[in-house]
Amino acid sequence: MGGNSSFSWGEMLGHDLPAFGLLTTIALGLGLLLNQFRDAPLPLLYQSKQVRFEQEVARLVPLETPRHSVVASSAVREVGLEEFREFVSGRRGLVLDARPEIFHRLGHVPGALSLPRDDFEKAYARQRSKLEGNKDLPVAVSCSDAHCEDGRMVAEALQRLGFRHVLLFKGGWAEWTRAGLPEERS
Amino acid sequence: MRRWIENRWVHLVFRLGVGAVFLWSGFVKLRAPLPFADSIATFNILPMVWVNVMALGLPPLEILLGFLLVVGFKRREVAFGIVVLTTIFLLALGQALARGLKVDCGCFGGGTPSVAKAWGALVRDLLLLFCAVVLYLKAANTDRELKAARGSGALRILH
Repeated sequence: MGGNSSFSWGEMLGHDLPAFGLLTTIALGLGLLLNQFRDAPLPLLYQSKQVRFEQEVARLVPLETPRHSVVASSAVREVGLEEFREFVSGRRGLVLDARPEIFHRLGHVPGALSLPRDDFEKAYARQRSKLEGNKDLPVAVSCSDAHCEDGRMVAEALQRLGFRHVLLFKGGWAEWTRAGLPEERS
Repeated sequence: MRRWIENRWVHLVFRLGVGAVFLWSGFVKLRAPLPFADSIATFNILPMVWVNVMALGLPPLEILLGFLLVVGFKRREVAFGIVVLTTIFLLALGQALARGLKVDCGCFGGGTPSVAKAWGALVRDLLLLFCAVVLYLKAANTDRELKAARGSGALRILH
């Protein structure tokens, strides 16, 4: 490790580590500075996506809604590919896509509206007329794949917002495309 | 094997490859720090007060390191930085997999937490670490040879 070898702990700790510390400090300063110029700067204190989502949903729930009706009355029902396919082709209700909007634009289930978990409040406001007029219709929520938590979060939020029949297609976009079913782009 | 690792063309490929990966990964996360913060949080190792600081500071650091590596400036210090960062990524992924956590590596922005993807990221980070260590040892060796040459006056003779 010493002498003529290419590695020395002394050089590493005395020279390379401080250089890395300096570079890290510069990068952190740059990151904090750039953040000030964002449309929506990231707050310094982290809030989990569940907490952020809860806050967004709470802002959407009408103030006059009694507390007991805000709590979901029944569990979201999961549906498989066949039932979801029939739901879509038979136009039995609204189909909602919980993935980020960019993915929705690249391809989605025919007729699906974008209602992403990561921008729920704004997306809900954009789709308000289509959504609020159909609260008695069944709605089916789809996400990216079976691991996607956003689908369930959106489905449960819709229940809190007064939708009576909320379905969740667990397989999501991955299962839909794997089955070679029709796609739509916007 | 040793001769292969010492080949300058191999070093060039390593330098450009690792630099490009760091540049790309930094830019993706710089554009969307919030999904990256969510990814960091899935690892469950940083106190909440550090999550957003990390999400804001790490992407510019990756861009700086990637850029400097590609242009070949301060190769030794930059390669050391990449070794440190990649080791941190490996430790974070390793502890998450050992604890059975379903994490989103966040390597190229936010995504869906998945154990399979975490294993993929672990293998990729091991490859990056190997390249970075080779680059660091080479740069450290070159530095040492230059210092030795200066010390013996060989450079003056060469001039």
